[in-house]
Amino acid sequence: MRLKCSIALLAAPLALSLTTPTARAQADLNDLEMAHVAVTASNIDIAYAHLALALSENAAVRSFAETMIRDHTAVNGKVADLAKKLNVQAQDNALSRKLLGDAARIKDELSRLRGAAFDRRYAENELAYHRTVNGVVADAFVPNVENAEVKSAFQQALTIFRGHERHAQDLVTKLSMDVP
Amino acid sequence: MKHIRYAAILGALGIAACAGDRAPAHHVVEIRDLSFAPDTIRAAAGDTITWANLDIVPHTVAAAGAWDSGAIAAGAEYRLVVSGTGGMEYTCAYHPMMKGWIVPR
Repeated sequence: MRLKCSIALLAAPLALSLTTPTARAQADLNDLEMAHVAVTASNIDIAYAHLALALSENAAVRSFAETMIRDHTAVNGKVADLAKKLNVQAQDNALSRKLLGDAARIKDELSRLRGAAFDRRYAENELAYHRTVNGVVADAFVPNVENAEVKSAFQQALTIFRGHERHAQDLVTKLSMDVP
Repeated sequence: MKHIRYAAILGALGIAACAGDRAPAHHVVEIRDLSFAPDTIRAAAGDTITWANLDIVPHTVAAAGAWDSGAIAAGAEYRLVVSGTGGMEYTCAYHPMMKGWIVPR
């Protein structure tokens, strides 16, 4: 049975990767499409982190970026293992494609920044990105996922991603105090 | 199979001491949901502490200037024998908001 869920993604003030001009995007997603969105969101954050490692010399920013790569890679590995076990494959969908399109614009913006300006913008985006994705996962995905194992995987990932949100908040605070 | 590594708390905990007239205890700390459970261990010299990583991501346990487990993979464990007296705070180097404490017994 195909599970339907309606996802309203509210625009955030920091030109996040989930914004739309109309402040709303809707999708009807099944379990495999929601899994694809989650993997895509993780891959986007990994790409942001690689950009940070290439451009930032701030130890706290680099450490955070390394954690994002390490954790999101692990989560994606768990999703891949589960898909193999269930003999299914995550399904591409419009929301995943929208995430990728928005992320390209964010990466372009970030790549033009250097030094403290990059660090602050990277940290702010990480906070806003995790806050937004976590909201979608908690409010739209977890309640609507049909398969129990997939639901459990989403819940485990959400716990990790909420930790990232706290970590990003701490990083934003630290960088704001570093400003002369 | 779980991977177990061993280390001893040295230096920062002071002079090594024996467990005295009590048998060494074994303490287990579960690392789950980005936290240490329990977050406080009361331990004496000679006791063993095992951290079991039940999360889906790697963690570390490290006390500044004293000891560092290095990466503890998901499903793996890290074991440490308390060889001194004193207390200390430890953290996960990857997730600095995770904090735990070892206090003298």
